[in-house]
Amino acid sequence: MKIKGKKLGGSDTKFAYALLSPSLILLVLLIGYPLIYNIVISCQEVPLNPRLPSKFVGLQNFTEVFTDQSFYKSVLVTLLFTAVVTIISTVLGLLTAVFLNRSFAGKKLVNSIIILSYVVPSVCLIFTWRYMFNNIYGIINYFVKDVFHFVDTPPLWFDKPASAFILVAIFAIWKFFPYAYISFNAILQSMDNTLYEAADIDGATSWDKFKAITYPAIKPTLVTVVSLRTIWVFYIYTEVYLLTKQVDVLGVYLYDMAFATHDFGKAAAISIILFVFIFALIILIRKKVLRVEEE
Amino acid sequence: MKKNKKALKEAWFYARVILLVLVLLFPFIIMLSISLKGTAETIGYPPTIIPRTWTMEHFVDIFNARIFPFVKYIKNSLYIALTTSIVAVLLGILGGYALSRLKFKGKSAVSEMFFLVYMFSGILLIVPLFKMLSAVGLSNSREAVIICMIVQTLPTAIYMTRSYFDTIPKELEEAGKVDGLSKMGIIFRIVVPLSMSGIISVFVYAFMIAWNDVLFASIFIDSPDLMTIPIGLNSLFNTPDYIWGRMMAASLVTSLPIVIMYGFSQHLIRSGSTDGGVKG
Repeated sequence: MKIKGKKLGGSDTKFAYALLSPSLILLVLLIGYPLIYNIVISCQEVPLNPRLPSKFVGLQNFTEVFTDQSFYKSVLVTLLFTAVVTIISTVLGLLTAVFLNRSFAGKKLVNSIIILSYVVPSVCLIFTWRYMFNNIYGIINYFVKDVFHFVDTPPLWFDKPASAFILVAIFAIWKFFPYAYISFNAILQSMDNTLYEAADIDGATSWDKFKAITYPAIKPTLVTVVSLRTIWVFYIYTEVYLLTKQVDVLGVYLYDMAFATHDFGKAAAISIILFVFIFALIILIRKKVLRVEEE
Repeated sequence: MKKNKKALKEAWFYARVILLVLVLLFPFIIMLSISLKGTAETIGYPPTIIPRTWTMEHFVDIFNARIFPFVKYIKNSLYIALTTSIVAVLLGILGGYALSRLKFKGKSAVSEMFFLVYMFSGILLIVPLFKMLSAVGLSNSREAVIICMIVQTLPTAIYMTRSYFDTIPKELEEAGKVDGLSKMGIIFRIVVPLSMSGIISVFVYAFMIAWNDVLFASIFIDSPDLMTIPIGLNSLFNTPDYIWGRMMAASLVTSLPIVIMYGFSQHLIRSGSTDGGVKG
């Protein structure tokens, strides 16, 4: 961004850094320093008693993590979870945005309702889910078993890894798809409708119109939404942890290692591995995103 | 004939919209329903959606400090969320102004750095942050949560403020200079008042992130007296005698300010130019 003006020189730089200094100091102290400190901790054995000194153990924490079966299980679960939630929540958000991309009575209200699950605190939503999927008096099992007779013995949703995974995935999709919806909706609303009208005259189907008009317009947004959601779901913690103890994504694995097992050294090692994963992902994405923007 | 077909198509469209709304609202309907029925009915089978017996007792009970610690949690959450959002807004204004208006060395590096922090953070640094803040005596304190929440919200706050400032004509600042305002005077007397709707949405964003936070509160706060709403309510859940009606009433009361604030800020920026994308 270029700004034209008079005397833009040294004095601006000084003023700019004066304005930015509180933020930069905070980031250096609470992001920069911890990043380095994290590496130090990852090479230490940290005793439970904070007054005792930590012992340098080299790469032992890393070898322990890499020989831990539950780590690989956690990686697989996380990759699967990230793929499922990112893809489905993005597609749902896009479909909803395309579906509602016209004027109709009550549009504002419908928009607000869609965004509800996204802004309401997760913890409140999770209480409701725990109630709805309760094994004894939950309404979901009531429908599944007694109303529609899909199964005779409904799953113990929270207690089996497979059903818990499905449960958390549905929850995360419901919670996050509004983000995709908002992003796509903003683009679609700014688009010129005459293109669609022309396509209608040519007798184009909805799919033709999507491919030829909508998709090229939303592509940059699509890349951004998918990348950010991938990263955020990849280190998801809160929603999974509060809902069930059966889905060990990396975020939960890391948290438990630090605050349940109290092995800070190993937890730091896990977070560095996670960090490298995400950093690689970001570099990959940024290349992709930049390429898309150039097109 | 053609008219009929069109009406049918319209009806089909609205039918699908209603279905979508019902599916999305279903958990909220359940939430409301449980909060309004008697305790026996909440654990009865088969479950009911419309309460057979209506009661407001849960909404009364949650504000009774002798039987339910909700008010205490509200105070803690308010303290954390308000402090976080005020600081985030202030730093956002300063940083956003620098990035929007000033030309300086290292600008793209600074802006790149904020973007990286925006994507990272969260759970990745819990171990060193916990050790550092405990070492300076901030374990079991709300202030540790505030510090972490400020850092979490800062990049977005600066980005949002910057994009609002970009929409304000530069000529208005020249007028301020002529009137003899200082550099800070120009920011707070001219640019900020003109960007009020943007600044309010930054406030709402930061408030929402801090209000909804579970991770940092659960790491830094142990004693029930300091707990925020999310971790406080969740800790009650793990006791055997939780009462569904109270939990749902408390959930509704917790959600209400966020929904109202978010709706209000969306209403304000609808005329503005910035998108509604919020991290989460």
